[in-house]
Amino acid sequence: MTAFLALVAETLREIPRRPYRPSEFFKQLHFVANQSVPMVIFCVCFAAMVTILESSFHMKIVIQNDSMVPGFAAMLILRELAVVVTALLMTSRVGAGLAAEVGTMAITEQIDALKMLGIRPVQYLVVPRLLACVIGMVMLGIIANITCLVAAMWVSDFYLGFAPGTFITSMNRFVGMSDFLGALVKAACFGFIIPLVSCYFGFNCEKGAEGVGRATTKSVVASSVAILVVDFLLAYLFSILKA
Amino acid sequence: MRAETKVGLLFLTTIVVLIGFGYFIGALNPFSNTHELNVMYNFAGGIEEGSPVRVMGIKVGKVSKIEFDPSYRSPSGEEVKLKLRIQIDKAAWSTVRQDSKFFINLAGVIGEKFLEISPGSSSAGELTPDAFVRGEDPPRVDQLISQSYGLAGKLIEIVEKNEGSASNLIGQLDKLVTNFNKTLALMDKTSKNPEVSRLVDNAVKISDDLSYLTGQLRTKKAEESFALMHKLLFRMENLDKEAIKKFLQEEGIRARMF
Repeated sequence: MTAFLALVAETLREIPRRPYRPSEFFKQLHFVANQSVPMVIFCVCFAAMVTILESSFHMKIVIQNDSMVPGFAAMLILRELAVVVTALLMTSRVGAGLAAEVGTMAITEQIDALKMLGIRPVQYLVVPRLLACVIGMVMLGIIANITCLVAAMWVSDFYLGFAPGTFITSMNRFVGMSDFLGALVKAACFGFIIPLVSCYFGFNCEKGAEGVGRATTKSVVASSVAILVVDFLLAYLFSILKA
Repeated sequence: MRAETKVGLLFLTTIVVLIGFGYFIGALNPFSNTHELNVMYNFAGGIEEGSPVRVMGIKVGKVSKIEFDPSYRSPSGEEVKLKLRIQIDKAAWSTVRQDSKFFINLAGVIGEKFLEISPGSSSAGELTPDAFVRGEDPPRVDQLISQSYGLAGKLIEIVEKNEGSASNLIGQLDKLVTNFNKTLALMDKTSKNPEVSRLVDNAVKISDDLSYLTGQLRTKKAEESFALMHKLLFRMENLDKEAIKKFLQEEGIRARMF
């Protein structure tokens, strides 16, 4: 844990320091955001459809009335579902990739070579990935939220009988811009966690292909756990701030 | 296409999507076309900022701000301290008149609060934007419930204090009802007795006869006879017993009169 916190501190220290690497940053942002968009849209669509169908099913059982399902589903989507599902997808796609990439560099002594060339590995490897992940996650969070809402609206129109207007009215009753912005704060936090955890396991990778595989697995597991824990902490913090 | 361009396009898309979402949920509205009005209350009953404002059931705006305004006094001198600043679409503004009423109502199964404006009469003038109007305070359900609790407590106390009397009263009532039932049963039985039936029949016959006799007495002949008798008695009134005695003695009749 201490080593991880040291990496976090060093990364934060390196962010404002030169040289900046915009091309590397855009390359990473393209990898994190643009290339993840189709997968995120596809997955969160189904997650949203399942959520609204299950919400309707349970509401009918519990209170024999599903009139508030659109608003309830919209709230669930905005506050939790879209961003958390996106973050978990990013963990498996981006986090695993980063851990494998940095791990391979570590075991092939490329990181040592960087040091020999006077390049700070954290500044060269972690900072562009961290910034790309934070900004990319915020962008993906916005896209995922809207996609989820559109998918939920579509399902509620075709299967539950709520017209889009009813959905939006019900949504207005339950959610506000603060919920959306809260989701984006969560997305930024998740975007902060994923590259740091992945790079940490990459830097500490054991020798051989097996070591890289283990580091990748560990990074995905640790990132997923961290995302869920941070999600809980942020939800608790927002509930305190709103009260 | 370069990676930077693709990233830029995605960034622009997310910004557009974000603005679109803000517009849809009403957080951003660059084309706002509303007037504002201050509605004063002493009790807002759970309404919140963002709650809808409706005229004739149609949403025409929202509550934009709720704040305390201790300095405000209504034209009648009443202290009204809670200010609800509401936005009303210009299209609906003409329906809100000086005699309009501003209620806080509940809607839907989840009990959403909204501000209902009853449109006033067309003879009353239009309100000016940013004017102050007095709203109708919603009923204090919490107070009503607490008063009900007090009343229920008093009722329980009364019942507990007079438990013996109340039981006694109920016992007496029970006996009374039992006796009444017995009386009704007896009356029912009596009405079916042949002797009683005969008695009733005879009473009916007597009543008929009496009716016939009184009818006869009301005939012209009976009236004439009655008048003649009256006349006769009137004439006889002047005769005294001395005169009659003398008359009878003269005729050789000895009689004891009166």
